[in-house]
Amino acid sequence: MIRLENVTKRFSEKTAVDGLTLEVPEGEVCVLIGPSGCGKTTTLRMVNRLIEPTSGRILVNGRDVMSMRPEELRRGLGYVIQSIGLFPHLTVAENIGVVPRLLGWEKPRIADRARELLSLVGLEPDSYLRAYPRQLSGGEAQRVGVARALAADPPVLLMDEPFGAVDPLNRERLQAEFGRIQRELHKTVVFVTHDIDEAIRLADRVAIMRDGRLQQYDTPENVLNRPANKFVHDFVGADRALKRLVRIKVTEVMRPAPQAAIDDAPEAMRERAGAGRFVYLTDDEGRLAGWLDTDDIRDDAVADAITTVDRLQATVARDASLRDALSRMLGLGFRSIAVTDDEGRIMGEVTFAAIEAVMSEAEEHRGPTADGEGA
Amino acid sequence: MKHPTRIRWAVIAVALVGFALLVSAEGMWRDLLGALFPDYRTVVHPRGTLVDFTLEHLALVGVSSALTIAVGVPLGIWVTRRSGREFRPLVSAGVDLGQTFPPVAVLALAMPVLGFGFWPTIVALFLYGLFPVVSGTIAGIESVPPAVTEAAVGMGMSRWQVLARVELPLAARVIMAGVRTSVAINIGTATVGAAIGTGGLGVPIIGGLAVQNMAYVLQGAIPAALLAVLADALLAQAEEGLGVATG
Amino acid sequence: MTDSTASPTRFDRVALTGALVTLVGAAVLPFVELRANRLVPGSGHSLAAAGPWAFVVWGVIALAFVSAVGPSAKARSAASTAGAYGLVAAIAWALGAAAEGLLADMSPVARVSVGGGAWVMLVGAAILGFAGAEERSRFVVRRAGPVVLLVVAVAGALVSGGLDRISLAREFAVRQEQFVSLILGHLAITGASLAAGAAIGVPLGLLAARNRRVRGVALAVTGVIETIPSLALLGLLVVPLAALGAAVPWLRDLGVRGIGPAPGFIALALYSLLPVVRNTYVGLTSVDAAAIDAGRGMGMSRRQLLFRVELPLAAPLVMEGLRVAAVLLTGIATLTVFAGARTLGILIFEGLGQFAPDLILLGALPTIALAVIADIGMSALARAVTPRGVRVAVQTPAPTFAEEAAA
Repeated sequence: MIRLENVTKRFSEKTAVDGLTLEVPEGEVCVLIGPSGCGKTTTLRMVNRLIEPTSGRILVNGRDVMSMRPEELRRGLGYVIQSIGLFPHLTVAENIGVVPRLLGWEKPRIADRARELLSLVGLEPDSYLRAYPRQLSGGEAQRVGVARALAADPPVLLMDEPFGAVDPLNRERLQAEFGRIQRELHKTVVFVTHDIDEAIRLADRVAIMRDGRLQQYDTPENVLNRPANKFVHDFVGADRALKRLVRIKVTEVMRPAPQAAIDDAPEAMRERAGAGRFVYLTDDEGRLAGWLDTDDIRDDAVADAITTVDRLQATVARDASLRDALSRMLGLGFRSIAVTDDEGRIMGEVTFAAIEAVMSEAEEHRGPTADGEGA
Repeated sequence: MKHPTRIRWAVIAVALVGFALLVSAEGMWRDLLGALFPDYRTVVHPRGTLVDFTLEHLALVGVSSALTIAVGVPLGIWVTRRSGREFRPLVSAGVDLGQTFPPVAVLALAMPVLGFGFWPTIVALFLYGLFPVVSGTIAGIESVPPAVTEAAVGMGMSRWQVLARVELPLAARVIMAGVRTSVAINIGTATVGAAIGTGGLGVPIIGGLAVQNMAYVLQGAIPAALLAVLADALLAQAEEGLGVATG
Repeated sequence: MTDSTASPTRFDRVALTGALVTLVGAAVLPFVELRANRLVPGSGHSLAAAGPWAFVVWGVIALAFVSAVGPSAKARSAASTAGAYGLVAAIAWALGAAAEGLLADMSPVARVSVGGGAWVMLVGAAILGFAGAEERSRFVVRRAGPVVLLVVAVAGALVSGGLDRISLAREFAVRQEQFVSLILGHLAITGASLAAGAAIGVPLGLLAARNRRVRGVALAVTGVIETIPSLALLGLLVVPLAALGAAVPWLRDLGVRGIGPAPGFIALALYSLLPVVRNTYVGLTSVDAAAIDAGRGMGMSRRQLLFRVELPLAAPLVMEGLRVAAVLLTGIATLTVFAGARTLGILIFEGLGQFAPDLILLGALPTIALAVIADIGMSALARAVTPRGVRVAVQTPAPTFAEEAAA
């Protein structure tokens, strides 16, 4: 747990952080966000004392950071920065092993840990352990950066725009992986970004800052639904409704989908469709093979009304967000899309109408309760 | 930015005048060195006046440096043109190797080949001085971003115009740095010229060391050190000025 | 081989230049000089003095021209390299033969020395060799190649006795003992002052990187020292040291006097400061700020940061500074003889004083060789201390791990 109590930082003339009070509960991701110069990075760097506060207290797991030796404090806090800062003269394995070595771990333990962490961040250990940082792509380097920060298994991670220098495609992949790792490890994370989409995607709580002051500190849903003031409203942007979709999993609005086996008799297929127009057709393992459009059946020639599809293209996974589903549907021109489980079997479908309903709900929502995880 | 630059030029001008007065103040040297070394019978080198030594020194450095620039800059430009590009690796390697040669050894080697005296010394100083000037010219021209020269070509400049209006102005500062190194080496090496009879401020130093007359040594060493520092400051200021012009 | 040069010429202009330089050296300038004794001016003799060996030399020159117009770049390169080695060997043998022939009925004090033509031909051979090596110009080939070529040739000629009659070899034979002790003296004063310069310069560079005011003063002062002519600095040191030695007898006994190794040692150490301080400073300040931020953020102390991150990353530049200093000091060490040190400068300046060309060569050529060896050796050392991860050109092509397509 991290607590900031009335923390202020003044640089000669300028007040970078002004009376900030903030609590990050254990195991949660707190994203600090705001325009550049709002004091978010300064706040982060005060937690591990790379910058020391002018006044106020910062507690990490109940201990005042000012009462600890800075080196000791920092070895217990994982630190990831945008420019990564891998040591160019050390191999990937040695980079990951820096903090364990500072802590005096045994060599075999450090080596095992490096392998374990590389697997965790999605890099094949045997190909990467002996590589040097300059042989890595930006995305790979940042994964190693995250692995290095996790090396000594610190309960707290401090991340300063960690994915800011990566291209958009890789950024999304890294965010997804970070989400996966966080669900597994439950670190207490302070995460600085200027990307509101990233914040909404990753945060348990978002702290929006401006000129060193906290504007709103709340769940992403509440920030989107009930901006505390005009600044937050404008900062979040006009497409709040769309952004909100990022927070909702397809499984939350999914409805059962009619399906039939592709080698079923035409009558059986038709029957399965019931009152609906479409029926999903599956192969013998229950995975999407195509669909039948009952409106297209002319003179009982069912075969002509079947469309076969690439199942990876035409479905979304169960952990996808509504926004993923929406963009996939818009791209393909569908009015609905099938949701699949980890084995690729059809669980149900999400319709355009359902998404639309969620969006309009968000636009109109002014009431005290939010759906989803709640406040 | 104009003001501090002017002030610096003024300081250098005053220092140059001061240096001229210092070397021509024959009587002052006699009195000062006489007071410092009361036991010596003579305190100023008998071969000539300090003005003579300084002028000899300046002649050696001036002539050789002028030749160096006149040959070195075009040579450096040529190997960056299409017609000389094939020779660029050879010239660079030669210049790199040449710069590891000690200047005194080069000066000494010129004697058996070219003979003794003023002109052989000039040739040796000229040859050695080429190395930094050529490498500075190559480095300067190659430091011009290709996008800039491409833009110039795209605007319809001829090759000569690209060189004269774009490449040389942008390279001027680095070229000047090469010239500055070259002149500094020449001033230093010319001091050693005294050992082969070309005169210069090395005469009282070497002569003084040979006969253990410390007054002679100071009489040569002080002006030689001042001359070198002054020349370097002057060229550094010129280098700076070129930087501002292209900045 | 990719021929990136724009002109699609069928011949190698660089090799052709080498061949032309050799031809001019052979045809126009005297190949050897014959002198009645080691001090009087001599008379020039052409390549013909080498008798049958002259034809061999002409033959190799012809080969050099052929090598420049070979059918393929690869063939031209191989022929140029062969031509270069062949030329050096042929010139060495021809020099021996010419000396043998010219000295046959002369007095024993007569000398035959290497003429301007032979030197120019050796330069031509070096250009030819460079043209051959250019295609695969690795560090070792480019920097060490010509030196190895020369050492092999000279050693071969000395072992075979072919050059015994050349006056440089005779000068060497006469002064062998002195020569060896002077080389050792040269190395000793250079090495000692370089070590002292490093011991002062590296910490000073470190301070300069940490403190703005130190940086200003340190770089300005060492810069001014560097511009002062060596002889002048030597003179400026001799005077106070002489006075100090005279005033304090026990210091004098320790070697602090105007004339002796002390002023030379101090002057050389002072000259080494600028490159060492500057490079240490630049090396430390050019370490990626992100690496330092990451190191601090991970809990490294300042000491750990310095020894585990900053110094390893700055080491190549520090070594580069030491290399520049070593080359510089090797040259300036010749001048310390004016203040009483014993280095190769003794041979050079004695030779200049006596108008004895062979003696000058005996001092100057080894000085140049030492400087080149120092350059190559320190470059190799700089590469050795460069951490593998930051080498500009890694020996084996670095495997690039493409961002895997399937996450």
